[in-house]
Formats: sequence, structure tokens, C-alpha cells
Amino acid sequence: MLKMSQYLNDGTVGIMIKLFKVKEKQREIAENANGKAPVKKQSAGELRLHKDICELNLPKTTTINFPNGKDDLMNFEVTIRPDEGYYLGGTFVFTFHVPTIYPHEAPKVKCKTKLYHPNIDLEGNVCLNILREDWKPVLNINTVIYGLHHLFTQPNHEDPLNSDAAAVLRDNPKMFEANVRRAMAGGYVGQTYFSRCV
Amino acid sequence: MVEAKNKYDRQLRIWGEQGQAALESASICLLNCGPTGSETLKNLVLGGVGSITLVDGSRVEEGDLGNNFMLDAESIGLSKAKCVCSFLQELNDSVKAKFVEESPDALIDTNPSFFCQFTLVIATQLLETSVLKLDKICRQSNIMLIVARSYGLTGLVRISLKEHDVIESKPDHFLDDLRLHNPWPELKKFADSIDLNTTDPVVHKHTPYVVILVKMAEEWTQRHGGCLPSTREEKKEFKELLKSQMLAFDEDNYKEAIEASFKVSALRGISAHLRQIVDDSLVQVDSTSSDFWVLVAALKEFIENEGQGEPPLEGSLPDMTSLTEYYISLQKIYQAKAEADTAVVEYHTRNILKRIGRDPGVISKSYIKNFCRNARKITVCRYRTIEDEFTSPALSELQKYLTDEDYSVAVGFYILLRAVDRFAANYNRFPGMFDGSKAYLLVKSHSEMDDDISRLKTIAVGILSDLGCNSSALPEDLISEMCRCGGAELHAVAAFIGGVASQEVIKLITKQFVPMSGTFIFNGIDHKSQLLLL
Amino acid sequence: MADTATNGRWRDLDKLLLRPGNLVGPNFEPSPELRDDLQTYARVLVVGAGGLGCELLKDLALSGFRNLEVIDMDRIEVSNLNRQFLFRLQDVGKPKAEVAAQRVMERVSGVNIVPHFCRIEDKDLEFYSDFNIIALGLDSIEARSYINAVACSFLEYDSDDNPMEETMKPMVDGGTEGFKGHARVILPGVTPCFECTIWLFPPQVKFPLCTLAETPRTAAHCIEYAHLIKWGEVHVGKSFDEDDPEHMQWVYSEAVKRAELFGILGVTYSFTQGVVKNIIPAIASTNALISAACALEALKIATGCSKTMSNYLTYNGLEGLHTKVTEFVRDKDCLVCGPGVLIELDTSTTLQKFIDLLGEHPKVRMPKASVAHRGENLYMQAPPILEEMTRSNLQVSLYNLMGKLARDVVHVTGAAAVNGKTASSLRKLRIVFRGATNDGVADMDTAGGA
Repeated sequence: MLKMSQYLNDGTVGIMIKLFKVKEKQREIAENANGKAPVKKQSAGELRLHKDICELNLPKTTTINFPNGKDDLMNFEVTIRPDEGYYLGGTFVFTFHVPTIYPHEAPKVKCKTKLYHPNIDLEGNVCLNILREDWKPVLNINTVIYGLHHLFTQPNHEDPLNSDAAAVLRDNPKMFEANVRRAMAGGYVGQTYFSRCV
Repeated sequence: MVEAKNKYDRQLRIWGEQGQAALESASICLLNCGPTGSETLKNLVLGGVGSITLVDGSRVEEGDLGNNFMLDAESIGLSKAKCVCSFLQELNDSVKAKFVEESPDALIDTNPSFFCQFTLVIATQLLETSVLKLDKICRQSNIMLIVARSYGLTGLVRISLKEHDVIESKPDHFLDDLRLHNPWPELKKFADSIDLNTTDPVVHKHTPYVVILVKMAEEWTQRHGGCLPSTREEKKEFKELLKSQMLAFDEDNYKEAIEASFKVSALRGISAHLRQIVDDSLVQVDSTSSDFWVLVAALKEFIENEGQGEPPLEGSLPDMTSLTEYYISLQKIYQAKAEADTAVVEYHTRNILKRIGRDPGVISKSYIKNFCRNARKITVCRYRTIEDEFTSPALSELQKYLTDEDYSVAVGFYILLRAVDRFAANYNRFPGMFDGSKAYLLVKSHSEMDDDISRLKTIAVGILSDLGCNSSALPEDLISEMCRCGGAELHAVAAFIGGVASQEVIKLITKQFVPMSGTFIFNGIDHKSQLLLL
Repeated sequence: MADTATNGRWRDLDKLLLRPGNLVGPNFEPSPELRDDLQTYARVLVVGAGGLGCELLKDLALSGFRNLEVIDMDRIEVSNLNRQFLFRLQDVGKPKAEVAAQRVMERVSGVNIVPHFCRIEDKDLEFYSDFNIIALGLDSIEARSYINAVACSFLEYDSDDNPMEETMKPMVDGGTEGFKGHARVILPGVTPCFECTIWLFPPQVKFPLCTLAETPRTAAHCIEYAHLIKWGEVHVGKSFDEDDPEHMQWVYSEAVKRAELFGILGVTYSFTQGVVKNIIPAIASTNALISAACALEALKIATGCSKTMSNYLTYNGLEGLHTKVTEFVRDKDCLVCGPGVLIELDTSTTLQKFIDLLGEHPKVRMPKASVAHRGENLYMQAPPILEEMTRSNLQVSLYNLMGKLARDVVHVTGAAAVNGKTASSLRKLRIVFRGATNDGVADMDTAGGA
């Protein structure tokens, strides 16, 4: 057989056909030892996520939970209960779906709780730059959770997804506050009904 | 029709309806139907070329089944041109496919006018003497020629034609034409209408960077004696100035302005590339000039007069952070200026046509518009005749290649590909190509192979010394590699060469993108292929 | 034997396989037997039967390979016909893998191609283990990453951290976009794997949602608005299917309305499809040359008949012709192809004891590790909810937790001391259980010197 040093230098491998031949013989003689191996493989994305999850340093207003159990980290929920600002007292649930090529691509995040917010629309789409145009592989789940948290303490009317809410926040913060209260308590803001989330 | 559109969807996204129409009206001739030729043509038939004519005088042998997908066991003994033609026809019934059962070499000798009917000729696996004759024939009749060759683990592709002009060169990365260093009155006026110090934070963070840069550059010049930032220090200072205008760290428009700030310092005038074209002698147009050169002449007049040194404005605006209405207004301002510039070029074009005695309306408005939109990117490709290259190659380049480690294998193959043709002319076979019944045993005993190696070496050394080059630079290993291959046409190599050749054919026919220059030498050993400009 | 063969069907290929040369791979042994062995023993899996896959099957069949299999989950569409030359108009709707296999077998006698009309994830590891070489003709990062992980999972290292050649599953991988393409050779453990160089693939451009909602400027913005925002608003609970022409038509007409509202030009049906499906333009010629480069490398890997490319070829025909070979280097710490740290344990070692041991281990020094094995989280130090769910494993032996495999890989995460500094890290560990014999520990000890 070829010595390792022969190919480690120039990156080429010696003739492999002999190995194929040996392999074919082995295949015929006995069950491959790998036959015992479990089928499931862990993708590089899952491993990186594993690290992200272990290192979570959540704000005290935030909890995380894994509806599919301990072995599915790719799908989880984050619950935020803001302790200041307009949304104090509310409970907001976000679903995270992490793609297999994470962190090459950002996690997909949606808000499960229907809410009145300038940067989150009624379908739960979230306008947060690091979830789309500004995502980079060096960012992690913690950064995203802090970003979401920030949306509750500093809702901004300059980059709206819900333009009605944004206009009220800009022109009449008092009314915006009242609208948020009404929505969180369960009720109508304009034509839209919101379920109770306090 | 809908079906054709769907069928060609993935390529229409590259060369558009116009490019497709050009392909569909092209008539292509293939010489020799081995795997190199068959694979080249396969890629073109799939793309929908108008018509193909296959020329090959040979009959299918068993050995052809080992490297040519277009042939099968039933083809043995039949005309190769016919068999390949019928398979290719199966791939796309909108292509008109014909074949001629004749040896290409004979056809070149006896019926040179045969080639005049085609848009382009693809000559594969043709020996030197025939290539040289064919090149002359094609040049005389303005037929485009592509030479493609596979030989063992090497091969070559070479375009031969007098001149190829490209308007839509579609480069991947090309700096946009925003004129921030030299804004015209309408752009200035629009910028003036916008207050950078607006108190509305939404407007502030959605003011397009084009406006920011025009205004800030003006402010800068007023404070710097009419000069734009030019030194490194000044450019840095200008960026700081932009930064100081930001109200918040997340204002993407200001980030874009800082990133694009170098554009205000761009030099006025045209690139060296365009300068070379407008200064070409063909710009002295007469009644025989092509439309392209008439347009270049008009372009030159524009640059020297109305353009004040600048080409017509391209007119497109890249996406940038902006309020929709600001962006749409800017878009219209850029388009209007481009249209105005185009109208001036059109005026020059009509005048020039009149002056050279042609119908002033003969060149369409859309052609002129397309030319103006691409004026900064037009490209002219010229190719030496193959004979010129063979008898008097660019010696300084050749010397450089022979001594440059990155090129030595490629130039070695280049010389050896010529040498095997001379070998074949002398011995009526390629080096290392022995009578089948003895082949394997003889190789083991080496004697006959060694003879071929030294014969080939003598020929190759002869070629180099005739050109006045040091022949010791030729690697021995390459010489024996050529003999080992014995003229083999490997399928994978043929498919690679066919892929390269068909890409070039498409560029030539669609007149889009820039075709290769020089000779492409394939290196199938480590894939360090090279273009040689000789 | 040799006489008839050299003059016959493999006239051209035989010159390469039967004759000695100087520019060949190490230990190249030219002979008629080499060609026969190639035909008999080399088993190649082609992943994808699209633009690259069709070419690969043809190229491999005409390069002397006889045992081929192809896997693809797609059916033939009209828009494939400009490049996927094994398919005809009347094949539209049929599984690509099946038609491709059939067509090549019809034309190249003696070749056997087994089609698999399914997803790559549907096959188990044993299926992939059967092949000697895997040729990838894919257009997605996800699929490449998956196959790469599968192929690298067979790689084993000896006790000196050298890759064991008999466990190596070489890959050739191609990709194209218009006039551009790449071809690469991945020899796991020797050249960088897909994951080592994933940064080569630029992430897809994504527009900010608030731009789509409030300040659209381009046709693409209008289309993405209809696709990502408006669809959900109107079709509550019904997810968008990009392959449903009715859905696409709806997005297109909404995009047109929006573009008119804002005075934006350029929304067409074809452009809508392009944006929504992220269509990558593709042509026959580029696919042909990239696949040919891959097939040629596969032939060289199998037979040693020439040196192999090292290791990443790029081709660009847009402006003239540019080609370049780059020798990328492996990420020594790659979680997918790297050796990791070899650790020997007794079968009785509990998970708790193992974790304690990692704090002391000179090459790991990770005092509070979380441990994962093949997608199973054996112990998580945090967050509390997962810690609680995994705590009971601490007193179980690692051998049992790992399904009584004599050796396998685990991954650990935690703060570790690296060069005197503490940094969060993720490490691969190769665990070998002393005395466990069910799967060839003895092989491993001797392989390095064989």
C-alpha cells in the first residue's frame, strides 16, 4: 500500500483502483462494519448551532424552549417578556428555524404572537437587518435574540413593516402607547383584532 | 413559440432574444466528426443554432464507439458524418442538419467556395497544412473560423478572423457611470432641491447617496478653491465630512456614500481602452466602413464636442437606499441625459452617413441607442492569420513563455502539437501510433516508442530553432507524453475542448461577451491551461 | 487479449491505461488488467442528473467506468432541454435519473447505470459507502454540504492522525453559472473538503423587508414584496409553492400592480420566476467543459494514469477566457474532515467522568463540555431547560450512550484553554473504547504501517 507521505506533499493520491478491488472483495465476503452505524449524520450547521445554544446568554426577560425535544435544536421558540417600554407586561413568542447550512445563512425567524409593532407585520414578518441583508456567519443566535429584544425597547418608525403603527409612533407617541396597550389586552386597533398577550 | 421560449429560458437570461435570434440564423460547418467536433456541435444544437453541416469522409470503426457518444454499435461501417448528424438532429428538431460524406482535406483542396455559405466553420482534428489553407479561404470570404484540437491530455482552441466588434461586451464588474465628478445641470438642480439637513429622520436616512455626494462634493470644492478631493489625505477628510453628516450609526445611505466617495474623484475623460478604439485608423470611415465603425466615428465626434471629453451617459442607476420617489426621479434624470446624448450621437451618425455617401437612415435608432448605452465597453478583437503566427510569432512573448514556469508546459504543448502534425506529414501516422496488433508488446520493449520519441524531438527542436529560440527549454517528459498518447482522442478531453470551442462560437455569433484572444492550450495533466498570445 | 483490445473499442483510452509515462500518478501500473479492473471494480455515484449530471454520466461511461449509479429527485422540465442532452421533449415529466440512465446504457454498450429517483437524504450511509468515487453535479450549497458530510464520515485516521487511504471517499465536484464554472477534487483528509472552503460561495442577496414594504425601487423589490409579504397577508395558512404556475402568476400580477403604483419598470413573468426561484442561467457548453474536467479527474484518481489537479479549477469565459487552478488548503480543525483528537476510554467510563476528563486532557482542556453524538445531544451544560433534559445521561456509560460502537466521533462544545487564553470552542473527538472488538479496532492500529 501507498505510504501516506507520498501524497501528503503534493496533494495527489496513488492509484486507488487496487483499494476499490479490495473493497469489492470485502463487500462480497462480509457485511461492512459500518452497517452498524446509525443513519443520522450531524451537519456542520447543526454542530455550530449546538455551540451557539450552549453559549446562549439570554437576557432575563427571555426564555427558550425546544418543542421537538433535546435532539432537535434546529427548531425552537424564544419567548420575550419586555421589562420596560411600550411592551412591558406582554409575552411574545418567536419561532426560529435554522437552515442546515447555518451559519452560511441566517436563521428564519417569525413572530407567532400577533402584535401591534412598527417593525413586525401582522403575519409575523420581522424587519431586522441581521436576519436578512446584514447577516454574517460570525453572528449567532444570541445576537439575533438581542436584536429582537431591542425591537421591543426601541421600536423605530423609520424602517416600518407596519406603516400604520409607524405613523402613529412618529406623530403621536401617546396614542401609540394606548394602541399597544389595547392590542396587548386583547382588542381592536382600527380594523385589526389582536389576541390578549399579557 | 411559447415552448421555444421555455426551452431556451436558461440561456435567454444570458443573451436575450437578440442573441437567440442571431444563433437561430447562423449556419455552421463542422469539419471531422470525431468526439471533439461532435461535442462542440452538440452544445450548439442544444442552444438552437439555425443550421449545421457536418463534413467527414470516414466510416465508423469499433474504436470510435469508445470515445464518441453520438455513435453506437449499429453505426459500424456507416458514414460517420451521417450517423453523428442523425443523432444531433434528435437533440433539437428546430435545427436544420445536413452532412457531406467527404474528407475535409479534400474539400479544402478541391472546393474552397464550399465554405462561403457558412457563418462560421469549426475545424477539428485538422492537420497543419489543411488548417493553413482553410484559414486563407475563410479570411478571403469573411467566414469566421474556429480551430479545435484534442490530442491525448492536451488540446487547443484558436479563433481566426480579421476583426470582431462587440457592442454588448457585458463585463461582470464594470464601474457604473454616475458622473458624480462632473454632474450635469439637471442632476445638480435636483440635488439642490433636497435639503441634506432635513429634520425628518426618515427622509434623512433615505436620501440617495448620489444626492449626498453631489452636494457634499460641491461644498468641498467651494472650500478648496474649486478642486475635488484628490490626495489620499483629502479623500480621507472627505469621508470624515460625510460621516459627520450622519444622524445615527445605522444610516445605510451614508454608509453607501462613504463607500462610493471615490467616485467624486474620478478623472474626467475616457478610459485608455476606449481611447485606443476611437484613435484606431478605421475611424476614418468611408462608404465601405461597417456600421460599427461609423458609430465609433460618431462617438468620437461626440466626445470631442458636446461630450467635452466624456462619452455619452450610460443612463442606468444602480439600486441604492432611497425613498422611492427620490430614486424614481433620479432614474428619470439619468435616462433623460442618456437619451439627449444618444440624440446627439444619432445626429453625428446621420451626418457621417451622408458624408460617406450612404443612406443617412440606414442605421436604426435602436442600434444607436444600444451602442451609446454600451459606449464605454465596446471592444474590438483582431486575430493574426494562423500562417503569420506560425512563421513569425511574437518572439518576445515566445521567449517569455519558454522561460516562465507557469507557461512552460503550455508552450511545450503548443510546439509539440505542431510537431506531431509534421511527424504525421512525414510518417503518415502520429508518433506512438503503431499497428494495433503489436502495440502493447512493442511498448513494453520500448524500441519503437523510443524511436518515435527521438524523431518527434528532432522535429520539435527544429521548429524552435527555425524561430530562433532555445530548444533546450522543451521538457523531455512532454515529448514522451505526446508519444505515449499516440494521437488518442480521449472523450473527456474532447468534451472539454468542445465545451470551450462552443462557448467561443456562441460569443462570436451572438456578438455578445468578449471572445478569447490568442491560442488556448489545454493542459489535462494538472489543468494549468494557458492562453498564448503569439 | 491485449492485441484485440488495443485495436478495438478502447483504442484511444488504452493508450493512456496500457502505456507507461513520466507524468503519471505514483504507483501507476499500466496494463490491460488496469482497464479491466476499472471496468469491474470502480463504482461511481453521480449525484444529480441535471446539466452536469447528464454530461458526467456520458463522460464517465466513455472513460472506461462501467458501474455507475445516479441519484436525482427531479422530473424533466422543458427548460432543461437547452443543455440536458439526454432528455427529449416527450420525456418531460419523467424522472431525470431514470431517463438519463436508460439513454446512456442504450448508447454505450456494457455500461450499467442504476438510477435512484429520490432525495439524497432518503438513502442511508450504507448506500453511499458502496461507492469508490462520488461525482457531484449539483446546484445547491445544501446538497453539496450534505454529500460532503456523508463522504467525509467514512474517513478514518490512524493513531498518528494520518488519513487512512482505504477509508477515503474521493469526490469530484462541478458547478456552473452562465459562462463561468468550477471543478474541484476533494480527497477527504488530503485536500480541503466542501466545509473547509464554504466561504467560497457568496451568500444570496436578501433585500431588507422594510425596503420591500416601504421604499421599493426596483422590479425585484416589487416581486419580493408580492412573494414574501403580500402572499402571507392574502393566503393565510397556505404556503407558497414556487413550482405551482398559479402561485407564480399571482405573485407576478401583484408585482405588476405594485410596480405601477410606484412607477417602477421591468416586472415581467420571466423576471418574476428568476427572482422567486433564484434561477441561475445555464448553458450546455459550460456544463460540458466543467463535467469533462470532473470526469477526467475521476479517471485519474481511479487509475493514476496522470497527475491529479490540485485542487480547484475556475473557468470564466465572459471576457475572453480565464482559467486558473488554486491550491486551497485544508482547515486542520475542520469539524467535518479533520482528524479531531483521539481519546481512548474504557467501556465503563460514564459521561460525567468523560466530561471531567476533558477538563484535564492536554489537547482539549475543556472543563465544562457539552457533548453531542450523531445528532443526539448527550449532555448540554446550558440552557437550563436542555441541561435538565440531558442530566440523567451523566451517570450512564458513554459506550452505551454511543450505541456500543467500538469507535466513533463525538463533538464537544465549551470554554477551552487555547494558548493560555480561554475561548469558546467546538471540537471533534475520536473516541476509541479499549477492549471493544465488534468493529475492527485491530485494523486501525496496524493500518498506518501497512
